Amino acid sequence: MFALRPALLLLLGALLAPAAARAESAACGAPPELLESGAALPVTARAIATGRLRVVATGSASVLGPGTSGPEAAWPMRLRALLEARHPGLRVEMVVRGARGLTATDTAALIAEELAQGQLQQGGAVQLVLWQAGTVEAVRGLDLDDMVDVLNTGLDLLRAQGVDAVVIDPQFSRFLRANANIDAYRDMLRLVAAAHAVPLLRRYELMRYWAETERVDLERAPRSRRVAVADRLNDCLARAMAELLQSGMAEAQPAPRP
Amino acid sequence: MRALIRGGGGRDLRADFFRGLALWFIFIDHVPGNLLGELTLRNIALCDATEAFVLLAGYAAGLAYGASLDRKGWTFAAAGLVRRVGTLYVAHIFLLVVFTAQVGFSAAALDSNAYLDELHLDIFGEQPYRALLEALLLRFQPAFLDILPLYIVILLLLVPALPLLRRPGLLLALSGACYLVVRFFELNLPSWNGGGWFFNPMAWQLLFFIGCTLGYTPRRGAVRAAAPAVPLNPALALAAVLVLLLGVAALTVAWHRPELLALVPERLAVLLTTIDKTSLHPFRLLSILALAYLLGHAVAADAAWLRSPPAAPFVLMGQHGLPVFCAGIFLSFLGRLALEVEDGWAMQLAVNLAGLAAMVGIAVVGAWYRREAAAGPKPNATLAAAPAGPRAGAATESLPVPAVSPRTQA
Repeated sequence: MFALRPALLLLLGALLAPAAARAESAACGAPPELLESGAALPVTARAIATGRLRVVATGSASVLGPGTSGPEAAWPMRLRALLEARHPGLRVEMVVRGARGLTATDTAALIAEELAQGQLQQGGAVQLVLWQAGTVEAVRGLDLDDMVDVLNTGLDLLRAQGVDAVVIDPQFSRFLRANANIDAYRDMLRLVAAAHAVPLLRRYELMRYWAETERVDLERAPRSRRVAVADRLNDCLARAMAELLQSGMAEAQPAPRP
Repeated sequence: MRALIRGGGGRDLRADFFRGLALWFIFIDHVPGNLLGELTLRNIALCDATEAFVLLAGYAAGLAYGASLDRKGWTFAAAGLVRRVGTLYVAHIFLLVVFTAQVGFSAAALDSNAYLDELHLDIFGEQPYRALLEALLLRFQPAFLDILPLYIVILLLLVPALPLLRRPGLLLALSGACYLVVRFFELNLPSWNGGGWFFNPMAWQLLFFIGCTLGYTPRRGAVRAAAPAVPLNPALALAAVLVLLLGVAALTVAWHRPELLALVPERLAVLLTTIDKTSLHPFRLLSILALAYLLGHAVAADAAWLRSPPAAPFVLMGQHGLPVFCAGIFLSFLGRLALEVEDGWAMQLAVNLAGLAAMVGIAVVGAWYRREAAAGPKPNATLAAAPAGPRAGAATESLPVPAVSPRTQA
């Protein structure tokens, strides 16, 4: 009986996932195809079933939720709240490691640090890494090949250590698009994620969609509303990530028989 | 417009047409967010307009400076090349100034300080003197300003290599060896940020010199021989088709069905991510050569459509590559600013139509000026024109070809 429970919960989760996806997608209106993981997250699924999930979110400044009303409003913390609300009894430990101007090389080192620390702690091993990359590289015109090498090595390492990963691409911004060669870096991130069969949160496309449909457009928000819009953007990103994780966990299950 | 096209002397209009097309694609690809960008070569092949541009630039250089070399010797041809490099360098610095102004303008327009906290695009605002120095040294190349520096270095490499145009085997062996060494040891010209150039000239020179050997036509007495072409060979054609199909398959899977990549061994899938553009990965080199080979044999040099009205704008653009290229980069700045303000379909249409029209317009003006200059002074204007200066007189005296042609062709 006891052994059956997680499996039963997961099955229920898989059955309920489509309904949940519709409801969530309606919340920020993101197109469903941007919320499909396209790859499985088995370690995360198992961790959620056992009631404990340790996540590392790393990247440049945006993981800290700049411009929001506070750290709790940044997307990693919003994601934590969403996951805990969605899975009663689940305890999510969210480690946020990021800073302005960090490249993939820097964040790879942070990930390695967290993995090493997690192994020392009793039961504290990291199960999921949310890895944002590409913005600083694109803005500074850093070597594309170096970024690819670091990501390839890092994702291999995560796979070898039994840790799930989700790659996150740069934010959408008209300013960024007009002034940096952002597409070359985005294309490469997409290819790297696909090659490692790791989900990619297409933040750029999501944010572009929200901006174009005038749902959330931080860049054009009047100064007085900027904090509120930044909060909303981070909340929407957290919801999109929650959907993506849900889809990845569903893919980790054997397909339900019709 | 068709009357302005130069078609005499066995000129291969195919090279002009595809060069014009590549220039248009470069404009489109330099405007991120442009919907037409989904339709350019880079979407269906593991090579793009940059490869096409460099190959055809090599072709044009082999043709023009090769002819100059045969007619007037190395010193003259080399001087022509150096003058051309000077023009390119000045054009690059001009575009850099435009780019800097664009960044400043859009940063002010968007009040982006509060938003894009992590972006340090405004390097000129932070370290203006250093940035200027590094830009002049070509060690600082802002986004989208990376093709001209490549072109400048490659043309400089052609100066000592000019005599080798007559020994294509040796030229290609040296160039290929350089390519292999550079790729193997991961060498690149340095850039300010500690990395290398976005387009590594020491690797890309191979594609350029392949173009040179295809474009160089040795003189046999008074007549020019036909340009050397790789003969049609069924096995080679099949291999070329396979290379391109492999590229199409890889890109289709990567962009549209990435989950399929999970089905191939991870090591193979990761190989896809290592196909770099910076040092012209061998597969990208193969792709553009395969494409050129197939197109070269599929389109006859005297194909009627090359002289049709729809092809004329592209042929003209190709015949005036340098001004059109520089204008295209300049126009892409304006296009990016326009799409930054508004990127609906109406603006998309306006940007693309205005961009193409301006590029064609520049080619038309160039072609008209060239034709008029070649025709000599108008009879009733002779007296008025005569005191205008010794330069105008000198240019018309040395007609029909020499003084102008090497410069405007490459």
